[in-house]
Amino acid sequence: MINLILVSHSEKLATGLKELLAEMVPSIEILVAAGLEGGKIGTEVSRIEQAFSQISDDALILTDIGSATMNAELALELYTGKHTIRFVDVPLVEGSFLAAVLSGQGQRIDQIVTELEQEYLSKEKTN
Amino acid sequence: MKLTVEALRTALLATADAIEQQKDELTDLDREIGDGDHGINMSRGFQGVKKELEVQNSLADLGELSKLVGMTLIKTVGGASGPLYGTAFVKFATKWSGMKSVEGEDLFAGFKEATEGIKSRGKSQAGQKTMVDIWEPFTASLQADSTLEEVIDQALVDTKDLVATKGRASYFGEATKGVQDPGALSSSILLKNIVEVLHD
Repeated sequence: MINLILVSHSEKLATGLKELLAEMVPSIEILVAAGLEGGKIGTEVSRIEQAFSQISDDALILTDIGSATMNAELALELYTGKHTIRFVDVPLVEGSFLAAVLSGQGQRIDQIVTELEQEYLSKEKTN
Repeated sequence: MKLTVEALRTALLATADAIEQQKDELTDLDREIGDGDHGINMSRGFQGVKKELEVQNSLADLGELSKLVGMTLIKTVGGASGPLYGTAFVKFATKWSGMKSVEGEDLFAGFKEATEGIKSRGKSQAGQKTMVDIWEPFTASLQADSTLEEVIDQALVDTKDLVATKGRASYFGEATKGVQDPGALSSSILLKNIVEVLHD
């Protein structure tokens, strides 16, 4: 099952979202790469890389704003592992809901990315 | 103009000290139009670079040095500045791989690649009140007959008057006009220190 990696400036935001998603799709595997040490706000490459090392299947990254996206893209460029990991630049909360449901239905990474892009990127401009 | 391994190393150590001195200024600017961590992040990053350079004093070429600096910044700065500055140095490394010194076209090519790297990482372009507004005119002037120090100063003045349309500052809109962009200021510190060590 496709894993989700939630990259946020706030650990609380990401863990809260993880709880929401688990209610929708209990079997979904979600990794949180959010916040900094000591509960501080921010994003860093190393937490994202740590999440990469824990995935059990191909994975999809979703981010909140600005540097979360930059750090996610950078971590992806540095990734040399065996799984396919993709980033999709869609709204974090709505996007991860749809991704969780699709993953739960057994869809593969490319199908999920295509569906998310169709749902969100054709309707609004990305920042 | 020529940049050698030893000269870049000297410039980076000087930048670390300069960032330390202007740490509060960078953070205060970021508090006004951002999330208030730029000075702290840049200080942590360049102190990390300084530590690495003090341990590794036998770096063979500009590619090796730039790669080390880039990866250190990526690991230690965090926020948006980590990937942006880190990418700039990693891009230097790709252009200057195996070179002990660069001048002319090669010098320009490194800065061109770094500037493009910053733009692509941040999905930004000139005129959005970011570090690109310093890196781009600086890089362009490497090929022109101009005083680099003056180019940087003028770019800072111009950037201050812009309205931010990219990054965290863009949420503050018109209020950013007249406030210096912290990333532009830290870029000017780094680039001025590099200018200092360019030999004629």
